[in-house]
Amino acid sequence: MGPEFAQFLSGMRKTMEQVVLPNLSDRFAQEQAGIVAATLGFLEQVHDKVFHYELLENDRYKLLLGQVLEVLGTDGLGDEVVVAMDAVRAHRAADPPGSEVHLRPYHDLRASNETMKEQLCELIRLQPRLPDRVRKAFDELLRPFFHDLQLRERSWVKPLGFDASGADLPEIDELLYSGGRLRLSDGS
Amino acid sequence: MSGYTPTQRLRSAPTPEWIAGIRARFPVERTVDEVLTRKLTHRGDPGEHRTDVAVLAERLLGYLHATTGQPDLAFGGLRRLTGGASKEQFTFDLRWRVDSEPTSRTLILRMDPSESIVETHRLREAQLLRAMHGVVPVPDVLWVEPTPDALGHPFLVAGFVEGTVQPEGGDKASGLGMYFPPPLRAALKDQFVEHLAAIHTVDWAAHDLSAFDRPAPGTTEGNAWSLGTWERIWHEDVLEDHPIVERAALWLREHLPVVERPVVVHGDYRSGNFMYTDDHRINAVLDWELAHLGDHHEDLAYTASDILGCPDEDGRTLVCGLLPRAEFLDRYQQLSGLPVDPERLFYFEVLIYYKMVVIAVATGRRVAHGRRTHLDAMMNLISGFGYVAVSVLQRLLDTGPDGARPPARAAG
Repeated sequence: MGPEFAQFLSGMRKTMEQVVLPNLSDRFAQEQAGIVAATLGFLEQVHDKVFHYELLENDRYKLLLGQVLEVLGTDGLGDEVVVAMDAVRAHRAADPPGSEVHLRPYHDLRASNETMKEQLCELIRLQPRLPDRVRKAFDELLRPFFHDLQLRERSWVKPLGFDASGADLPEIDELLYSGGRLRLSDGS
Repeated sequence: MSGYTPTQRLRSAPTPEWIAGIRARFPVERTVDEVLTRKLTHRGDPGEHRTDVAVLAERLLGYLHATTGQPDLAFGGLRRLTGGASKEQFTFDLRWRVDSEPTSRTLILRMDPSESIVETHRLREAQLLRAMHGVVPVPDVLWVEPTPDALGHPFLVAGFVEGTVQPEGGDKASGLGMYFPPPLRAALKDQFVEHLAAIHTVDWAAHDLSAFDRPAPGTTEGNAWSLGTWERIWHEDVLEDHPIVERAALWLREHLPVVERPVVVHGDYRSGNFMYTDDHRINAVLDWELAHLGDHHEDLAYTASDILGCPDEDGRTLVCGLLPRAEFLDRYQQLSGLPVDPERLFYFEVLIYYKMVVIAVATGRRVAHGRRTHLDAMMNLISGFGYVAVSVLQRLLDTGPDGARPPARAAG
């Protein structure tokens, strides 16, 4: 298989920066061509990590939703919460923790992640229906999850150059890998 | 891309039932509902957004003939402008008669793309610009068409204002985080605050703002519409759900403050949205499309947000690159006579980061996904700004009003 993606992207960016941009006279076209070149530069840096990023998310959402089911328990929950929890259980049956989702096509992996995101959001929307004690425990689970999530996303988009604190952020490789392997949690 | 879940498929190809459901779920003003519903109704239309400038020139000329009743007017030089992320902008030259007097002017055409990073109503923008004439410097509106009938998309035509948006050497396509050298900063900062105070203290009830719903003073109505608008847009546009954003929406709903005295909220008051002359006089306040009647703290929180700031030579973050936050708020209170309540300011800090996330993460990606704008590449790129805003949102919710101020700001 070749040329590799990195070579395609690098070639396009070089052509854009060194051939196309200097020869454009229209300011609007220059501005847009610069954005295309910046986008190619971003893709060069992340294209080989897309599948592993999704795989890590798959692992983290499964872990969190399992913990959420435990915290919510079964007592004193309204119908809407019960329905939302049943949906989580049904998805966990289809793509359980430790499944071989890494052997499936990217579309299936991403679809599983999108489903879990929607399910977590639905449970967050229903938080006001939870008993205070349960809601508080749910919030405690979300706190470290949110911290890691925003850090991962910021590191992912760091090469786009919007983050003034970007230099202080870890590289996305550091967040994805440890000892040369993807940082999956125990049991996945 | 997208379409991974039934909800995502409905967002990409909304059914009438789904549209009715989302309209019922979120409280918004009626003209806001009008543009958002039109967006959803046409989302499934085939074809990507494409503007042929020659065809546009022909249709615009036809419109000008019809609206002025002057078949002998002279029209030419239609060309696209750089800058701006939400509307297609063109300038053109027009020679026609006003009250029988021959007139020659360069004008600006602001036209909606098929879907915009902010879906807004041209009549609202035109009414606000007319209401602000003589209050703060604004372009004069000549014609407005809030329907797609004439040019294929809603538009307005206004006077073209000569001036500078960004200092020499600036390279911010977005206008966010703009740096002003000290002499320029000194000349502009007082005007910048004065104009905001003037906007907030204008007697808006004396003007024709028929496209705006008027929130009752002393109720949460104005803030409920503001939040309802951004929540609705999130749920209409987002390509992937996000738990931090969902958590933020819940917090905002549960802490909705009362608007004591509704004012005109500009909605996007920052560097990049005003112009100045060579002698350093602000000669135009721009981009009124997000303006509404609401709480003055909404503008204060937005304008003073660190993400729109820029550090000075000592590393202090300046509000819009112009003046320190404390000076900005003190001067504003002196000029406007309006109170600045730290608790409300915090509420609106959360709201404005939520709004930035909706725009950059949900709508920007959505319009690029559907190839619905002339700036698809830029729309994808802007999502990077959105994830910085998500991070700030998470920090605000984590620390609460007494926590440290978020250090993040935009660099792009």
